[in-house]
Amino acid sequence: MTPRLHDYVLSASCYKVRLMAALVGVRLDLVAVDFHPGREHKGPAFRALNPAGTLPVLETGELVLTESTAMLVWLAQGHPGWTGDGSRSAAAQVQQWLAFSARLAASLGMARLHDMLHFPADIDGCRLAGIDCLREVEAHLFEARLAGRLFLTGDRPTIADIACFPNVALAPDGGVGLEPYPGIRLWMRAIRSLPGFIEMPGIHRLHELRPAPERGAA
Amino acid sequence: MIPQAVQDCWYPLAMAALTGPYPGRATQLLGQPIRVFRDAAGTIRVQGDAGADLPVILRFGHVWACPGTPQRDLFTIPEADHPGRRLVDCGVVRVKCSPLRAVENFLDIAHFPFVHTDILGAEPHTEVGRYEVHIREDTDEVWATKVRFHQPQAAMSAEGGIETEYMYRVPAPTAAVLYKTCPARPGDWDVIGIFVQPLTEELCDVWPWMALYDDVTPQAALIQFQQMIFLQDRSILENQIPRLLPLDPGMEIPTQADLTSVAYRRWLKRKGLTYGAQMVAA
Amino acid sequence: MKTGGRVTNWVANGLSRDVVAGVVVPGRWQGVDLAIWRSATGVLRAWKDRCPHRGMRLSHGFVRGEGLSCIYHGWTYGTDGRCRSIPAHPDLVPPAAIRAEALDCAEADGVIWVAGAGEAGPLPAVTGLVPLRSLALHALPGQIAAALPGLRLFPGGLRGVVVLGGIQTSLCLLLQELARGQTMIHALCGPQDDPVAVSRGLEDLRRSIEQGVAA
Repeated sequence: MTPRLHDYVLSASCYKVRLMAALVGVRLDLVAVDFHPGREHKGPAFRALNPAGTLPVLETGELVLTESTAMLVWLAQGHPGWTGDGSRSAAAQVQQWLAFSARLAASLGMARLHDMLHFPADIDGCRLAGIDCLREVEAHLFEARLAGRLFLTGDRPTIADIACFPNVALAPDGGVGLEPYPGIRLWMRAIRSLPGFIEMPGIHRLHELRPAPERGAA
Repeated sequence: MIPQAVQDCWYPLAMAALTGPYPGRATQLLGQPIRVFRDAAGTIRVQGDAGADLPVILRFGHVWACPGTPQRDLFTIPEADHPGRRLVDCGVVRVKCSPLRAVENFLDIAHFPFVHTDILGAEPHTEVGRYEVHIREDTDEVWATKVRFHQPQAAMSAEGGIETEYMYRVPAPTAAVLYKTCPARPGDWDVIGIFVQPLTEELCDVWPWMALYDDVTPQAALIQFQQMIFLQDRSILENQIPRLLPLDPGMEIPTQADLTSVAYRRWLKRKGLTYGAQMVAA
Repeated sequence: MKTGGRVTNWVANGLSRDVVAGVVVPGRWQGVDLAIWRSATGVLRAWKDRCPHRGMRLSHGFVRGEGLSCIYHGWTYGTDGRCRSIPAHPDLVPPAAIRAEALDCAEADGVIWVAGAGEAGPLPAVTGLVPLRSLALHALPGQIAAALPGLRLFPGGLRGVVVLGGIQTSLCLLLQELARGQTMIHALCGPQDDPVAVSRGLEDLRRSIEQGVAA
């Protein structure tokens, strides 16, 4: 079957899955869930699918996955490179960043939900924790670049980059500016330039990837 | 000091369907704390800090209140009462911008190819033709008509590029309504509104709302489509300088495509509706 | 900044290698937000971060060839600052009066410098060092200087030989004030110094300065 994603267009975690699927060319059957204002994900019908009442949920035909990082692993299967180069160290590093992405969601992601959709949160605490995360990513990308690597775990993108990209790129939605992070900017640009990249609200596409229309072409 | 004309307007504060018992929704209006709740009798009430009740109207699924003395009824949208339409409350999104900038952006089509790329517009179809703007004498509303623009995907139920026609209407300083060609029913209009709650001059809650002819699309998908469009605008609205809407000419450069914006700004200035506006060029 | 009795209007706004051809990035000069961009052929420009049309930040825009376009309505400005095209009116030649507001910018030794238009003296010299990285601190330039008594003030920032990250390094910290009490440090070090060690040393330094500021 076509994998079915229970989806909310403004969710950074749902976007991870849509983006990954687009990058590896997997078609998803999207089911819109009324996360806001309807809180459909907290209702009994949705809880029957995912007792945690969280989004996204991916139905693969044999599995019901409720963690976005697991969905990335599932989607990347059969697409060499996206889970690392097969080495022990790459596999471990990918896991390291998948776990790190949960910190991004709890800090920058929560600040965004607070500022945008009125979620209750310790907003100052979320922002400070988010800045700590951004600094770690920036320092890591600096060292990676010295070694000639553009992405988190190597010279090509993996599910680690896709897991971390959305909440980093959407940090300004939660009142955390990205001005101080030149390395993160270049990394985001590299991801946004990948063939098959799709955007979400808050992350505009790179219009420069298409040439300017000739004057009078319209 | 907030002008009396501003105090005497109606403002949206909540979705009626989601308004619960006291303490209800604690929010802000024109910089003042305010509370929206359902009392024991089931009546929705709006109270200021001192506990005094404000005049309330329930309309278009939302709770509206007036912090001053209302000089007129809240506007109506007759199309909303037409049988067969689906009325969709789209929730609320907070934006760090002037409430007037949020309305002005809603009236703008020239940004579609760059901000709502491949959905509401796409290069090279960027040209905005001549359209008509006027103030309706009877209702004192800003109207733009005969607005046409190329759309790659005009709505959930639209496939392929079409030329869509729009009408825009500003019936209140922080509300705007657009009428657009309805792909499912040629000759009818889909109606989409944004109702903007001014928390402060530089912070607002935006309540999008729709009245559509569409029997097919699931409710959640309709809501998400509207939220996707509005959230694409959010990063624009939060990055305009100055945050306040300049009402004096000279600060920004309008072109013919901006006629609706020009009329809206003049209308605000003439009526003294300057909350969220900047009057002197910085 | 005023340093050691000499005044320079040049403020470091980044390292050249972080602003590659075809990108636009945010900058800041004396409280003014900037859009700094490099054209496809490498021309660097620093403009006020505001499209004259509707006030949108140009740093959110995009670079195509030799032009910078605003993300909001696609108005495009050439390297001379003049508006070249308005997509809503494709056949219109934009009036010459529509233009982005330019500041002076220059590059030397791998550093991007910005100054107010027409009021710039000579660039601060940082020859003999190599660009390392940029990082922001929640501290003011004076607090950073006070935390590093081993460095001396010079036009543009601080420099000298210090022990950082366990090694002795020739360090130069170019200071750029950001909004809300933050300062950007554009760091250069000696060509033989281990960049990873110096970078980690700067992270330590940031932690200790910020703890001092918080206390």
